[in-house]
Amino acid sequence: MPLVSVPKLTFAQKLKRFFMIDLLKGLGVTLKFNVGALTDKDAVAGKGIYTEQYPKVRPDVAPRFHGAPRLNMDPETHETLCIACNLCALACPEDCIDVIPMDVEVVVAGKPRRKKVLDEFIFDTSRCMFCALCQEACPTYCLELTQDFELATYSRAGFVWNREMLEQGRETVKYEA
Amino acid sequence: MHQVEIATTQQTVLDSPVMTLNMGPQHPSTHGVLRVILKLDGETVIDLDCDIGYLHRGMEKIAENRTYTMIAPYWDRLDYIAAVSNGLVWVETVEQMMGLDVPRRAHYIRTILTELNRIASHLLWLGTHALDIGAVTILLWAFREREEILKIFERQFGARLTCHAWRVGGMPNDSYDDFEQDVRRFIGNIAGRLDEYETVLSENRIWLSRTVGVGVISGADAIAIGLSGPALRGSGVAWDIRKARPYAAYADVDFDVPLGDNGDTYDRYLVRMEEMRQSRRIIQQAIDNLPDGPVNAKVPKLIKPPIGDYYHSIEGPKGEIGCYLVSDGTQQPWRMRVRPPCFMNLQALKKLCIGHLVADVVAIIGTLDIVLGEIDR
Amino acid sequence: MALLAPLNLIDSLLLKFFSEQTVNYVIWPFIQIGAVVTITALWVAYATYLERKISAFIQARLGPMRVGPWGLLQPIADGLKLLVKEDFIPENADRWVFFVAPYIAVVAAFIVMAVVPFGPDWAVITDVNIGVLFVLAVSSVGVLALILAGWSSNSKYALLGALRSSAQMVSYEVSMGLAIIGALMFARTLSLSGIVASQQSDSIWFFVYQPIGFIIFLISGIAENNRAPFDLAEAESELVAGFHTEYSGFRWSLFFMAEYAAMVVVTAVATTLYLGGWYFPFVYRFTEAKGFHNAYVVVSLIVFLAKAGLLLYLYFWLRWTLPRFRYDQLMDLGWKWLLPASLINIVVTAIAVVVLQGLNESGIHTIDSIAGGLNLTPSGKVIAILFGFGNLLLSAVILSLINWRSRDFNLKKQRRQIRLVDLPKGRAAVKPVSEEPELSKV
Repeated sequence: MPLVSVPKLTFAQKLKRFFMIDLLKGLGVTLKFNVGALTDKDAVAGKGIYTEQYPKVRPDVAPRFHGAPRLNMDPETHETLCIACNLCALACPEDCIDVIPMDVEVVVAGKPRRKKVLDEFIFDTSRCMFCALCQEACPTYCLELTQDFELATYSRAGFVWNREMLEQGRETVKYEA
Repeated sequence: MHQVEIATTQQTVLDSPVMTLNMGPQHPSTHGVLRVILKLDGETVIDLDCDIGYLHRGMEKIAENRTYTMIAPYWDRLDYIAAVSNGLVWVETVEQMMGLDVPRRAHYIRTILTELNRIASHLLWLGTHALDIGAVTILLWAFREREEILKIFERQFGARLTCHAWRVGGMPNDSYDDFEQDVRRFIGNIAGRLDEYETVLSENRIWLSRTVGVGVISGADAIAIGLSGPALRGSGVAWDIRKARPYAAYADVDFDVPLGDNGDTYDRYLVRMEEMRQSRRIIQQAIDNLPDGPVNAKVPKLIKPPIGDYYHSIEGPKGEIGCYLVSDGTQQPWRMRVRPPCFMNLQALKKLCIGHLVADVVAIIGTLDIVLGEIDR
Repeated sequence: MALLAPLNLIDSLLLKFFSEQTVNYVIWPFIQIGAVVTITALWVAYATYLERKISAFIQARLGPMRVGPWGLLQPIADGLKLLVKEDFIPENADRWVFFVAPYIAVVAAFIVMAVVPFGPDWAVITDVNIGVLFVLAVSSVGVLALILAGWSSNSKYALLGALRSSAQMVSYEVSMGLAIIGALMFARTLSLSGIVASQQSDSIWFFVYQPIGFIIFLISGIAENNRAPFDLAEAESELVAGFHTEYSGFRWSLFFMAEYAAMVVVTAVATTLYLGGWYFPFVYRFTEAKGFHNAYVVVSLIVFLAKAGLLLYLYFWLRWTLPRFRYDQLMDLGWKWLLPASLINIVVTAIAVVVLQGLNESGIHTIDSIAGGLNLTPSGKVIAILFGFGNLLLSAVILSLINWRSRDFNLKKQRRQIRLVDLPKGRAAVKPVSEEPELSKV
């Protein structure tokens, strides 16, 4: 049986103990919170209510947040910025990116040339751990992890995003406040 | 001073058969998927066995097939409560192997954010520990404070829990615009709130009777088992890697190390509460002296540490978290070994629990502050 | 009083069809029972709502907000959900016992409402002259339900929970029963309505005569109901859910209702015994004395519910503040603290009554009458209150003497200061950062 050294109690401490001052102090703190929740509107001061009513009120997501992936397009020409360099796929620790290029014939300075362009882009969000290494690897700022965080779907297949979804984004249900 | 007998065990009067009780892997207070097989006499624990591995993902083997850059996010998933600290071990190990000169500003920001992470981890421990013992309200209060830290993490790293905080040679981004202001506001608030928790718990007779004399371990035993962190310091062993082998900017800041005397659950509670205050002190100094300058060292395009091995460890919130790295000169490590604090701390469970009641087992699991992601790896 | 006019109307209507005896002794009681059961069930349902809201406010949250305005319809939604859930019976469970246990729990909790005086006159179903004994006896049946549920579930957690709860309820019932006796000495009756009437005629709440008795009754009541900090039987962090681990759906909700109904019962009995029940100063003078009988009953009802609600808030408040006791500590508290304290209370109260009577006989006028309880004169009241609060100090001394070597008692000073040590700094593992490193391109 473990022995613990204990100093003797003074009379005042015994009285305090008998009248449960320690418990009453704790009860005082919780009562303060209860009254604060009913009266105090300022949550930052430490007495108010902290709840975010999520589906009704959208949370403030930080600009750097790593959320749903997106393939950015040139704002003027609306052509994809992706040059199908495959760096993101190489950087991904989970191998969840597949870049499928295709060759197209282009005429550069009057001569026909073959150029590698993006055909299809597969991003498996079910395996993604949102480490943003792909975003850092992208030389053209095309692949980006956005502030959208609602990624739930009804099927496993729904987690695999193709190029169209990555470019257009997904529709999410918005609740009225 | 007189000695008071702390009666926790009682001789069995009836020759009752032993009951085996499976606690977990699905149990509210085994902190994840720990399975504890208890042998009970009535409610007294007479033997105990831990069954781990339900969350095994083979992290160390995965690391052998990833490049040094890719391994960093996996470290976040070991002890997911302290992802920032874990990430620091990994990048510092690789930086040491490669001999990189990390700028001062990066070191300071690393110090601030790992200390914030220590507070976040201790807050989660406080909440769940109090919840196990029955004080539910503390959990929500602790989460409220932790939320503010996670908001800072979200703004800085882009993620709240598994942050992927650091890159080899520095940081992915410099601190965001309001970083200093946010941190200052947080450390301004936290002291008063810690006092509130202490008002509710520290003197509370029920809390005292549930924690004092429960799970006592002596300093010598703690060293023999390999405890580290607050669990070791609660037993009065003065050992803190932040002091013994300073890393990041810890050489530049002043702080004290809290030590307990009796090595029981209550001492570990007090030690962790005081550590949060000391963390606040460290953050205050670091944010006041935050230097300007770049946050990234000059890092080669391909990270290839020279052939050799290296061990580096830091004082994580749970204890000494270390990384032993063997490089064969390629882009991928030949072997990566994690020195897991929670795994080592869990080994003390049997010694701490035998002779106590079932109710104490949950208190002791809580006081060891385990995270199964790191134990099972 | 247009609101209550229909009552007389219904009465006259019923009298056209039935004899007066049938109406008075069969039909009206059934209406009363229906009303009380409905109101109690609603009160129980909204007690869960209140508990969730209050716990939320204490924890800086909002609580239920989605079903109805401010989540007011949440209890109804919960009830519907539990009704349509699967009624799951574990394999190898003792089926019939498993079926029956929740009903025993809920019946034992609700049936006590029969004798609780919610107000004067028609606001009480029946006035049994051994009401207090009835309450104690019936509420003890509740423990049977827990034991049966725990045993029949064929689960170790449930069994441990049942064992804990049976030991707990049996030991706390002792001090609960003994704590009441002090109040009964002043009331001189076992009828709950009689106890309220004696407090009314004495114009005082027995709480001031019996502070110790009130505290012991409340603590034992909380323990008897298996509420935090004494919720060992269902300690969710240790035993998952204790005796009702294996229950789901509506059977589980019956246990839930039983718990809250038992809480309502204990608060109602505590109000009746110590807080004057439906009696509140000046209510009689402004209503009944001026001829508004039904207004008197309704105001008294509201007074009663307000007092019981305050005690219910105390339940919630304690639950969301305090940590949980351990099994052995709970037994310590019950047998080493509450039981001696209630015995001391009985002795001191008896001495107080004898002293009052002796003073009265020796010429100092202390007792008005003893017909409807012990009615004291102001000087008698002062003496009784002095005895009551002196009892607090006496109990403190005696209990300290009993427990001065116990572990529990000596823990307070365990609040030690931990040592803060400034360790010397070792060799830096990472290159010392005090040297300015060469700046590099980002």
